[in-house]
Amino acid sequence: MLKFVLRRIVGMIPSLFLVSVLVFGFVHLIPGDPIQILLGDLATPEQVAAVREEMGLDKPIWVQYGKWIAGVVTGDMGNSIFFGQSVLSVIGNRAETSILLALLTLLLILFIGIPVGYLSATRYGTKLDQSISGISMGFASIPTFWLGLTLMTFFAVKLKWLPSSGFPSIFQSGNWGNLRYLILPAITLSAPNSALIIRLTRASMLDVFKEDYVRTARAKGLREPVVNVFHVFRNSMNSLVSALGFTFAGLVSGTVVTETVFSLPGIGKLVVDSVLRRDYPVIQGIILCIALLYMAINLLVDIAYGWLDPRIRYS
Amino acid sequence: MKLKRTILAIALILVTMTASAATFRYATIAEPPSLDQHVLTSDQATTIAQHVFEGLYTFNKSYDPIPMLVEKESISADGKTIALTLRQGVKFHNGKEMTSADVVASLNRWGVYGVRGPVLFEHIQKVEASSKYVVTLVFKNVFAPWKTLLAFINGGPVIYPEEIAKPAGKQPIPETQYIGTGPYRFVQRNPGRFILLEKFKDYVARTDAADGYGGKRVAQFDQIQFIPVNDVGTRVNGVKAGDYDYAEQISGDLYEMLSGDASVKTLLNEGVIMPLMFFDSSDGPFVGNYKLRVAVLTALNTTAALQAAVGPKNLWSANGSIMPKGTSWFNSAGLENYSPNNAARAKALAAEAGYKGEKIVFMVSSAYKMHNDIGLVFTKQLKDAGFNIDLQVYDWATLVSKRGDGKQWDMFFTHHGFVPDPILFSFMSEAYPGWWASPEKKALSQTFTSTLDQKKRLETWTQIQKLMYEQVPVLKVGDVYTYDIYSPKVQDLGETQLIWPKFWNVSFK
Repeated sequence: MLKFVLRRIVGMIPSLFLVSVLVFGFVHLIPGDPIQILLGDLATPEQVAAVREEMGLDKPIWVQYGKWIAGVVTGDMGNSIFFGQSVLSVIGNRAETSILLALLTLLLILFIGIPVGYLSATRYGTKLDQSISGISMGFASIPTFWLGLTLMTFFAVKLKWLPSSGFPSIFQSGNWGNLRYLILPAITLSAPNSALIIRLTRASMLDVFKEDYVRTARAKGLREPVVNVFHVFRNSMNSLVSALGFTFAGLVSGTVVTETVFSLPGIGKLVVDSVLRRDYPVIQGIILCIALLYMAINLLVDIAYGWLDPRIRYS
Repeated sequence: MKLKRTILAIALILVTMTASAATFRYATIAEPPSLDQHVLTSDQATTIAQHVFEGLYTFNKSYDPIPMLVEKESISADGKTIALTLRQGVKFHNGKEMTSADVVASLNRWGVYGVRGPVLFEHIQKVEASSKYVVTLVFKNVFAPWKTLLAFINGGPVIYPEEIAKPAGKQPIPETQYIGTGPYRFVQRNPGRFILLEKFKDYVARTDAADGYGGKRVAQFDQIQFIPVNDVGTRVNGVKAGDYDYAEQISGDLYEMLSGDASVKTLLNEGVIMPLMFFDSSDGPFVGNYKLRVAVLTALNTTAALQAAVGPKNLWSANGSIMPKGTSWFNSAGLENYSPNNAARAKALAAEAGYKGEKIVFMVSSAYKMHNDIGLVFTKQLKDAGFNIDLQVYDWATLVSKRGDGKQWDMFFTHHGFVPDPILFSFMSEAYPGWWASPEKKALSQTFTSTLDQKKRLETWTQIQKLMYEQVPVLKVGDVYTYDIYSPKVQDLGETQLIWPKFWNVSFK
């Protein structure tokens, strides 16, 4: 197993290198000049060119890439053109919000999605199952910006129970109470994602219900809950783990709408804002980090497969 | 009952955990790149930076330049030598006293690398420190708008300590060097979260009464947090929920609803926004063809465009005078060509101008809803008048990049903020895309800047405006008023807000 993990980690290096080349190339292909955006509407072409030169943005693209990748290898992703701060600190600052929000959302998804999906599968074809299917379809269809603004209006504006927006750093302030800023965004994000997990749990369990070993288990006289939990649910977990893994990665990197609605300093919004500002070093750094995250989650999911299903052995 | 009590207790804890009362929280529409006023013209940056940095002059309520760091001035008989006596005892945030050496270093850096600096410095022979508190500007020729340029803080000459200004180059100065003389000092920038300022305890205020941006400035808040909140619905909800005390640039469609809402107050901004449509004077069908440009104007109905883009009637005015009503520059020269809304006449004029249906590339940006909406309305109106418009919609960075090359466009859309003197308009510069540099414009510009007689300057500006409706380098669509909202617990904000919202002399009730 250890050999397998090590080989997978080494295998990530060429993939990351390829991502770095592609991202660097594409980012520089987009029309638009970060220096013009930085200096503003009135800066003359001469003023823009002078700053470009000073920042080394006038050099051939392969020279710029070489300098950047040499820095990345040593842990230096350069400085943000827009913020003037190191890319790692800008990303690290945002990662806190995204990771905490993703964890909180995942927790809600697990507590809602799996039990309700289980209930739906074990009550297959009943009115309860139909109601759960209908409601979960409804949640999956609710636009997150609408749900977010509605929750904000009710819980923050009317009841004033929770803050409306923003997220002060917990690591900088040491105040874990700031987690309350993430409650409404996590509920907003968990609605469509829970619906997905409900549907997936239900569908996977229904597939397993048809297996011979389930029939055998019942024929042995095992009680229904024991069959459902230890034979059906346990064997339907592989697809769930995979879905939860990539849901987590998606929650860390791609929740732009929710981040915008709740004005959260997260990764998704940083990507979009950086593209609009053409902040090359930040875009490059963040895409590389997201690629790394997906690869790591892929690896963790594979490891989890082996743990959940002893028949799977990696060599 | 028990559950209700528990919920109430949790709610109480949550409410009491909010920020301290002495912190003023301002929700901004976007994050500024840097606060260095010399090299940037971002309005978001100016709103924040004006609390930290100060210039030699500023503007009063009528937008006349008045002294800020300067005590008095004396101008030689020929108007070419100006001695500025500085206020004594003014402290920088690092504790050092401001002297003429700081002013000379700051002006020189702004003159060379500043966005607006070269406009003034091409007329300046030298800037020198005549004594510890006297700075002398020696001009090559009389240049009337010198004081306005020194007073305009956006892209303007704020004063840094010499040790920061002297080595500073083309790039924005780093945030570790945000040292100014303002009533608030820069503390921290947390990207995506806030920019934090705190009261500068050793601030030396002017003694004259507050007037516009000028006079006595008193920091009433312990701290000010500028928080980026992009979404307008979130800014509004944030003020209503008590998470922000002030939110800028609220959309027109919410104006009537918010005006009648007791939980917030609305505040109109005096600094009008002027949507502008530029014509390319370097390449394409409009080069030297003024009649074709007038034909385009003749097809347009600016009232319809403003109504569609902005909404409530009191947030816009279909005003063709380049400078808005209420300013001494307001006039009606050339307005017969403003928004005639006559498609048939436009068609006839275009035919007379030799237009045979060639493609006209019109670039607008989707980054600004107003640009996009007006662009769509204008495209329809122009197509109805027989123009072959190729509307190209880009994000802002792409548009800014493309407009630098005259071969890629024929018309593009942008907007301009309010300026107290027309010399500060982008189109008065020959380097600005559109590149309006006709001999007639050059001659009038020369007269406009070289006389100190304000009456003659006003007359010349009237002639320039007339020329603008003949040569049509740019169409001003109208005046658009933005508005902000704030919590009723904030006081002394006045009836209207100035160009960039300011928060000295403002406090909580």
